[in-house]
Amino acid sequence: MGNTFRNLCIGTALAGCLATAPAFAQDDTIKVGILHSLSGTMAISETTLKDVMLMLIEDQNAKGGVLGKQLEAVVVDPASDWPRFAELSRELIDGQGVDVVFGCWTSVSRKSVLPVFEELNSILFYPVQYEGQESQRNVFYTGAAPNQQAVPAVDYLMEEEGVERWVLAGTDYVYPRTTNQILEAYLLEKGVAPEDIMINYTPFGHSDWQTIVSDIAAFGSAGKKTAVVSTINGDANVPFYKELGNQGISAEDIPVVAFSVGEEELAGLDTEPLVGHLAAWNYFMSVDTEENDEFITAWQDFIGSEDRVTNDPMEAHYIGFNMWVKAVEAAGTTDTDAVIDAMVGVAVPNLTGGLSSMGPNHHITKPVLIGEIRDDGQFDVVWETPGLILGDEWSDHLPESAELIADWRAPMSCGNYNVETGQCGGATN
Amino acid sequence: MTEPLISRRIGIFLALLFVVTVAVPLGNLVIAPGSTGHVPSHIVALLGKYLCYALLAVSLDLVWGFAGILSLGHGAFFALGGYAMGMHLMREIGDRGVYANPLLPDFMVFLGYSELPWFWYGFDMFWFAALMVMFVPGVLAFVFGWFAFRSRVTGVYLSIITQAMTYALLLAFFRNEMGLGGNNGLTDFRDVLGFDLTADSTRSALFVLSGLALGAGILVGRILTTSKLGKVLVAVRDAESRTRFLGYRVEHYKLFVFVVSAMMAGIAGALYVPQVGIINPGEFSPANSIEIVIWVALGGRGTLVGAALGALLVAAGKSYLTAAFPEIWLFVLGAVFILVTIFLPKGVLGLIESRRAQKRDTLVPDAKSAEAKA
Amino acid sequence: MRLVAAVVWLCISFASPGFAQTLEALMAKLPDGNFSQREEVVREIAATGDDRAAKLLEVLSEGSLHQRKSDGAILWVTGSRRDLTGADPLTGENLGPVEPRSTSAIKVNNSLRRTIRAAIGSLRLMHPDPVRRMEAAEAAFNAPDATQLEAIEAALVAEQDSDVAAALTQARAVTILETDAPLSDRVAAISVIGERGGRGALNALAGYRASDEPEIAVAAAEAVAKIERTQAMWAQVQNVWFGLSLGSVLLLAAVGLAITFGVMGVINMAHGELIMLGAYTTFVVQEFIRTSMPELFDWSLLIAAPLAFLVAGGVGVAIERGIVRHLYGRPLETLLATWGVSLVLQQLVRSLFGPSNREVGNPSWMSGAFEVGEMLVTWNRFYIILFAVAVFAGLLLLLRGTALGLQMRAVTQNRAMAAEMGIRTGRVDALTFGLGAGIAGLAGVALSQIDNVSPNLGQSYIIDSFLVVVFGGAGNLWGTFAAAFSLGIANKFLEPFAGAVLGKILILIFIILFIQKRPRGLFPQRGRAVEG
Repeated sequence: MGNTFRNLCIGTALAGCLATAPAFAQDDTIKVGILHSLSGTMAISETTLKDVMLMLIEDQNAKGGVLGKQLEAVVVDPASDWPRFAELSRELIDGQGVDVVFGCWTSVSRKSVLPVFEELNSILFYPVQYEGQESQRNVFYTGAAPNQQAVPAVDYLMEEEGVERWVLAGTDYVYPRTTNQILEAYLLEKGVAPEDIMINYTPFGHSDWQTIVSDIAAFGSAGKKTAVVSTINGDANVPFYKELGNQGISAEDIPVVAFSVGEEELAGLDTEPLVGHLAAWNYFMSVDTEENDEFITAWQDFIGSEDRVTNDPMEAHYIGFNMWVKAVEAAGTTDTDAVIDAMVGVAVPNLTGGLSSMGPNHHITKPVLIGEIRDDGQFDVVWETPGLILGDEWSDHLPESAELIADWRAPMSCGNYNVETGQCGGATN
Repeated sequence: MTEPLISRRIGIFLALLFVVTVAVPLGNLVIAPGSTGHVPSHIVALLGKYLCYALLAVSLDLVWGFAGILSLGHGAFFALGGYAMGMHLMREIGDRGVYANPLLPDFMVFLGYSELPWFWYGFDMFWFAALMVMFVPGVLAFVFGWFAFRSRVTGVYLSIITQAMTYALLLAFFRNEMGLGGNNGLTDFRDVLGFDLTADSTRSALFVLSGLALGAGILVGRILTTSKLGKVLVAVRDAESRTRFLGYRVEHYKLFVFVVSAMMAGIAGALYVPQVGIINPGEFSPANSIEIVIWVALGGRGTLVGAALGALLVAAGKSYLTAAFPEIWLFVLGAVFILVTIFLPKGVLGLIESRRAQKRDTLVPDAKSAEAKA
Repeated sequence: MRLVAAVVWLCISFASPGFAQTLEALMAKLPDGNFSQREEVVREIAATGDDRAAKLLEVLSEGSLHQRKSDGAILWVTGSRRDLTGADPLTGENLGPVEPRSTSAIKVNNSLRRTIRAAIGSLRLMHPDPVRRMEAAEAAFNAPDATQLEAIEAALVAEQDSDVAAALTQARAVTILETDAPLSDRVAAISVIGERGGRGALNALAGYRASDEPEIAVAAAEAVAKIERTQAMWAQVQNVWFGLSLGSVLLLAAVGLAITFGVMGVINMAHGELIMLGAYTTFVVQEFIRTSMPELFDWSLLIAAPLAFLVAGGVGVAIERGIVRHLYGRPLETLLATWGVSLVLQQLVRSLFGPSNREVGNPSWMSGAFEVGEMLVTWNRFYIILFAVAVFAGLLLLLRGTALGLQMRAVTQNRAMAAEMGIRTGRVDALTFGLGAGIAGLAGVALSQIDNVSPNLGQSYIIDSFLVVVFGGAGNLWGTFAAAFSLGIANKFLEPFAGAVLGKILILIFIILFIQKRPRGLFPQRGRAVEG
């Protein structure tokens, strides 16, 4: 009996470990949670972000830490499993007692942890370009909103390349759906005929692009300059670009502008046939500034390889982390409410030679860069916005969000304020 | 020889389950934070989730352990139950969504829906949603099973087409046109039946419900398997053709247990969703369904209790390993699966009981042989 | 202001000897201004007719032309970020190492690159190499420029090669359309372009359907309609081809499983990871070739294939001896153990090679495409189909024609009897499993050419592989063959109507229903072994 009892207890005992193990949190360190998938489908993108956070924390500690305390990174692996993101963010905040979390990549993982951060009142820095239509008190969005990526890219193609016919190709999930909705509205506004817009969605990890690429080629041979706006996600890009290259669709004929393809994705590709295809980001590794050169050198030294590249979400973490450090120092404490209040208005140098600042809507200002793929897997910046642009959380091009704004400063403190009704939407306070 | 309804192992398990079901909420709500014995809120939610997994494992054990139907698509029933509950919780948000639309959930406003799709009607009523939690997985299991068992699709073929079923559903639910939130699924829930989902008391209540559901699931399974029906099922598992030649309508028995199991999985999903706060198509992924099979095998197939135990062990192990050893946990987990399969063909429960039997053997040498063949 | 500029302009023009500016002076102007001004300079460079112009423009279009920040000198910079070398862009003379960030690249965008291509084309219309002349003619066709008409006609007169001459005739026709040549000439030009057919012609003509002159509009519309009719016909052929190509991928992915699962009855969930191992072997081979003997790159796949077979096969034998051996007679439990193996292999590869995609290049003979009628056939798909069929045929030969094959069949059909006959069943089991695994490795070599080489590679093929084997009928290789190609073709015919996602869902539903009808697949195993 005793034996059986002991064995049956293993289940609860293991869970019990979770409750008791983190009890010995030291007071002389500030804990920073890192919530990026290290296994599963998203590991391909997210592992690098974990490494860059470790580097930033190491650097900061070498500079004396924050508030005189050393930073301590707490790494967990949510394994590309969305409910596990929620579970592990609870574990980080409640169990490990971290003061801030840097993490998530996909929208669904962010959506999954949002209620946790709200309930436990902690801070999340989210470093990836996303569909917008959200502003949450506990989250700081350091990636691009659609107005910081998609719309300027379309403007560029229209003006510089004289594009008149558009293929909006994306993976079937919220980010491409919203981006394409915004772009479609925008293009129609600009006088593009509906028959000159083709919209196509494919599933995650789509690998057989023969039909679609040949459809694009056919759509593009109607005598009008055609371009593809690609919101194709992650893994599906490699076979897509390989098929483009093999079917001989060069950038000079039908340029493809992508919002999810950066240096890291190109590292797995032979870019020779892709020269000239475009990407819109807020950062490129090839940007020629002092800060960027230092960052790249530090990164390659940290990771121990001169082949490793840097990309936009890494810069987002760089900006976000420095902002957090600055806000904590300004607030003099890591207390969540004090830091959130101190965050708005904090400005730190970004890697492209400007000064990014945190807006009252918890989005940041960034320059928009359009780059063309080079044969060495890097991008040539061919165009950039003259100044920095603030992320627009509620798109003005969509009817249901046109009258919403977010302002987390004291009197308003609202993530979805309706300027017409003067009401703070339906969010709980 | 008739088996008692409450065997020794089931009795022990239910007693333990009862203790945990009572103790954890008490530890969370009554004992003050900081003092010994306090159970933090996130542990309550976590344990509640494990209990749902355990119920899911029991439902699979019912079909695999007793009727020999290896379903590689049980996650689909779980997810459907979860979606039914999620749809209700979505409707309960009402106008508190970010767009403050009283009728449409946020994602629909977002994707430009002008009216609620027909299949969302009724989900504002809890009783309807609760019914659907069992009805939808049940109907799917009935239709699928009716075709498959009648055509005598068995063994590996059946496993692979159940996998195809959940894969097809995965792809379908990923589509935004389905009107069920696409990849993001359903999230942002606020309360259930008017109780705030983030409140400790609601969490504890859900935990207790999950515990009760697991206990009930094991009892139902036990009643079914110790009845005459259970005997026939085991006969089907061990020699399907022979049972058929004896005059039993094999497909009816299989269909019945398959549908009951699917409903049980649906209930597990429904309890799971409010505790984790999200349901999305990822739950349909074939890998999830394979994992359920692994829980059952690891715990001990054909024992009900073993299945629950396996689910608890693997889920807790995963929680612990992903937090403590993020870089190498897959090695550990993979190795455990391999070792258990090779060295513990009857699962953890088999190990426990054989050790017990060994002890007993030294006293009563011949008591074991009957059990070993079961 | 503008006057001053004009005067300066005139001065520069007159200062240069001869009728045009020197190449050196023009080159110095490249860094200034925006893209459209740069396009202007490029045209002027082409107009110099200087021998060195084409090379200069090529360097420019590659983005390797830099301006030194200190003195504004123009350099041809090559090398990697921390190891750059400069050279004189006109003479090619080596100017030694260049400090990083001491130069800035002269930027090129797509439309400038288009201009450069046309400019290089105009310089090379009379090039001694017919391949270059062909490129030049194509460039002229794609970017018609009325001012080039004379040059094209001159080249046409001098042209000896009939293919190039045909291309030049078409280029001339497109160019004539741009000019205000007599109506009849332009209508004739439209028919020349219409004869050419294909997307290029469609592109060139589509715009003229809206021409102000009715004759031109009508002729263009007719020509376009004719091309579109032919293309619609070819689209069906193309669908079959796409289907065959998808089928060949499915076949490659599934045929190894047809051995381990179909013949041996092991539910090998690590099959996908064995494919992945093959792909990573290809990566390692290419990496080695890149660093030590780049001239062998085109042979990399042929070198990788046997190695991938051995690596994956070796791992397969290890899995069989270490794990599966203990589980015969418990087929469903092999699922659990091999699932564990797949987790371990995935994480192993992730730890060794990192989680991100690794680059596996296409050898030159697998890049690009060729045309069959109006249909574009990409070389890599073409070779993958050949490869899939070859692997399949090889496997059949091995099973039917060798002693090992005979023993394999004997052991799987009646193990006890085979053992009695003196066959070492353990060894045969290991070899059979190793064979299936090795073929998965071969599949990995092929898939590395069209898909991501990442730790997730295997996951995306495992479900499809099982479906193909089950649909075809486990234990029957021809069933797998038929299943792979029929599913591939069905998928490709559904895709245009239903879309990629719905098409796949429909296929899955079809398979589920089909299994109800024929519970043991397309080609069921017959005989006593079936039950149980």
